[in-house]
Amino acid sequence: MINGKDIKPQDMGKPAEQLTKFAELMDLPAPYNKPGMEPPLTEPKDAWKEKFCASLDGYIGIDTLTRPATKEEEEEQVKKFLSGLEKIFSNETNRNFIQPLLLSFEYCAKCNTCSEACHVFQASGRHEMYRPIFRSEVLRRIAKKHFKKGGGLFEKFVGADIDINWETIARLGELAYRCNLCRRCAQTCPLGLDNALLAREIRKIFSQEMGIAPKPLHEKGTVLQLKTGSSTGITKPAFLDNIEFIEEDIEEKTGKKIKIPIDKKGADILLTHNAGEFMAWPENPAAFAIIFEEAGLDWTLSSDLLGYDNVNYGIWYDDAQAKKIALQQFKVAKDLGVNRLVLGECGHAHKAAAVSADRLFTGEDYVPRESFLPLLWDLIKNNKLKLDPSKNSFPVTLHDPCNVVRMMGVVQPQREIIKAVCPQFREMTPHGVHNYCCGGGSGFAIMNAMNFSEFRNKVSARMKFKQILDAFQDTIENPAVPKYVCAPCSNCKGAIRDILEFYEVTDKFNVHYGGLVELVVNALVDLEKPYLEFLRDDEDDF
Amino acid sequence: MLLLIFIYISLLAFILISLSVALKYAKMPMHSRWELYPVPKEKGRGEYGGSYYEELKWYEKPRETSLFAELKDMVKEMLFIKNLFVNQRPLWWLSYALHLGIYLLGLWTIMLFVGAVTEIAGMTIVSDAGVSSHWWAALVYYVTFVAGATGAILTTLGSGALLLRRVTMESMKKYTTGQDYFNLLFIFIVLITGLVVWGSDPAFNYGREIMKGLLTFSPITADGPLTLHIILLGLLLIYIPQSKMSHYVAKYFTFHKVLWENDPNLPGSEIEKKIKEAASIKPGKTWAAPHFQAGGSVSKDQ
Repeated sequence: MINGKDIKPQDMGKPAEQLTKFAELMDLPAPYNKPGMEPPLTEPKDAWKEKFCASLDGYIGIDTLTRPATKEEEEEQVKKFLSGLEKIFSNETNRNFIQPLLLSFEYCAKCNTCSEACHVFQASGRHEMYRPIFRSEVLRRIAKKHFKKGGGLFEKFVGADIDINWETIARLGELAYRCNLCRRCAQTCPLGLDNALLAREIRKIFSQEMGIAPKPLHEKGTVLQLKTGSSTGITKPAFLDNIEFIEEDIEEKTGKKIKIPIDKKGADILLTHNAGEFMAWPENPAAFAIIFEEAGLDWTLSSDLLGYDNVNYGIWYDDAQAKKIALQQFKVAKDLGVNRLVLGECGHAHKAAAVSADRLFTGEDYVPRESFLPLLWDLIKNNKLKLDPSKNSFPVTLHDPCNVVRMMGVVQPQREIIKAVCPQFREMTPHGVHNYCCGGGSGFAIMNAMNFSEFRNKVSARMKFKQILDAFQDTIENPAVPKYVCAPCSNCKGAIRDILEFYEVTDKFNVHYGGLVELVVNALVDLEKPYLEFLRDDEDDF
Repeated sequence: MLLLIFIYISLLAFILISLSVALKYAKMPMHSRWELYPVPKEKGRGEYGGSYYEELKWYEKPRETSLFAELKDMVKEMLFIKNLFVNQRPLWWLSYALHLGIYLLGLWTIMLFVGAVTEIAGMTIVSDAGVSSHWWAALVYYVTFVAGATGAILTTLGSGALLLRRVTMESMKKYTTGQDYFNLLFIFIVLITGLVVWGSDPAFNYGREIMKGLLTFSPITADGPLTLHIILLGLLLIYIPQSKMSHYVAKYFTFHKVLWENDPNLPGSEIEKKIKEAASIKPGKTWAAPHFQAGGSVSKDQ
């Protein structure tokens, strides 16, 4: 096993049961700076090593990347990878990304400025393999070896000095799933290059050419969504049942009798949620319904196929799947005849619908899309909601979903909103467009096969955990004070939920998490009892 | 005369190859949006990374951009390599020495041209008696001297120090190819030969003579070191645009055509027109995964 300081890109093809492992991870602030405060790293099981590619760092992100049974199968997979490699560099098969890809591929000066910006590299204890350029350099060397003619010394001179074998390819595939695609590194690149783009292109080769992608993203993600309407598997009848339950819950919690509009033709707004909210956090779509009704908006939800789930996992690994989903989602809005599609608290859905899919539609198919944040701020600014911020008198910090800030430029509205309803709001450091990813970005939040959640909780989410602890340093060790991490994004919320559980932060230090609209509803003047669960007494629930 | 022709060829090659690189990227198909905030042209919002998406019903409002804000950021990046200054200061000192040196050598080249024109017009800049007392000649002389001297020293120090850092720093060495070392070494060697030539003629008279030769198409006289310097510099000029040192072209595209390119596709917009044109292109080839095939299964396992 090669230690984290010595490993180099050429090692990727070397025979080893496991190429490297974590040694010392980044230190955490108090109270997690004491020994025994966090669960230790574990070893992968032998059965996993035999079946999957655990030979990179012992973690398995791609649960469909199984070890070939025969030499022929192995060669076939390498061949497919190389044909996929050719396709990402082709105008014909990669029209949508060829220009940014080639720029990032050709011009890296290897100055390593990007490393300092990367939360995974920092959290890993500065392990070489997690530098943003490490995987890019492996890709570059494979491509140079595959495309360049010359051989011998010339190959070595241009960097075509890596063995192309199944292990190299498989490890590179795994390494593409050690990057959250947060693109913080690209903000700091003096040449404007983007290592996250290269990581995504590697994922594309695996999915689009080799038919290999993590099940939660593909088979149980985009494929399931296109088939049933939602990646959660919720069908239309199940969705409608869910809405009924939410209406009952609203009445129980707030005394408000709300009929959530479904499939209302010609409504002004079609509001879309990440369907995970209906399952895991129904209080979020409920809070939206309370706010929208209170403000008297003309709105609707859709029960149509893909209308009730705004996720689009395709943007993380597969252009074709991303396009198919976006097409269906826009069609739903068109069919309903709404004026605009408003995106609820889901970061990647923001990017997918508003930015990534922006150049897919013209003319009649065009639908205006916008974030819920400017709309919510507009309601608060214009006193459409009667609010009492003192109801949120506890420390609150805000996590910025990368897809909302860095990829879309929505930065201020959420700050205005949270300042209006939370008197003890404090920013994380850094925040806004310079935020750190929650660690669940690009699919990690829903990838839990085998030991991958350990990688997320211990490594990719470590920087976020540090930021949360830092933001609450004044009260963190006082469990009498409840603290709230506001994460207006489903996947971020999932990642933060897992951090708080994994490190037992809620139990030990009274730190909670949730969305933004829940804070707004909790501040509504006419609510007799708190809306936020952790503020409710047991008797509030009866 | 051969040397003169070689200089013409290398200068022309530098320009033409650089243009062909620019053209290659300019002709590439319009990509999916891949912007990254902060986008400086966002009027009133660029500073903190905001965009038009912060506006309610943004698609009904006029798009407000600021060319000044964009230019300001561009100038900071071009003249001072701002991103490196902010994010990796120790490297910035070396990289900036190299780049500022190159800019100064650019100014030096322009001043040699101005000096040559001045001399062709009949005014002596420097003679055995010293620098001409005429203000213009003196100005040309001293600006040429200061730009050339500081440019040559900074570029030599910068390229040498960057090379040294790359050779000695483990975290850089791992990712550096032979070609990466060669690029820095090539610049460094050209500069060293330049310093040798300059040492024998500190007033840069040889530079003005070459410029005069180029302008009047008359043969230039060059001794051994100067001939070697001219040949190496010419080869460097031909090589740079073919290598990744042509990032002076790439940087335009990475920032303006990728990271800062956030123009929305609105009905009737230029972007919409381009999308419609692109939609008519049907690729002949496709990808091989099952979900790309008509009626194909979902994954390799199925």
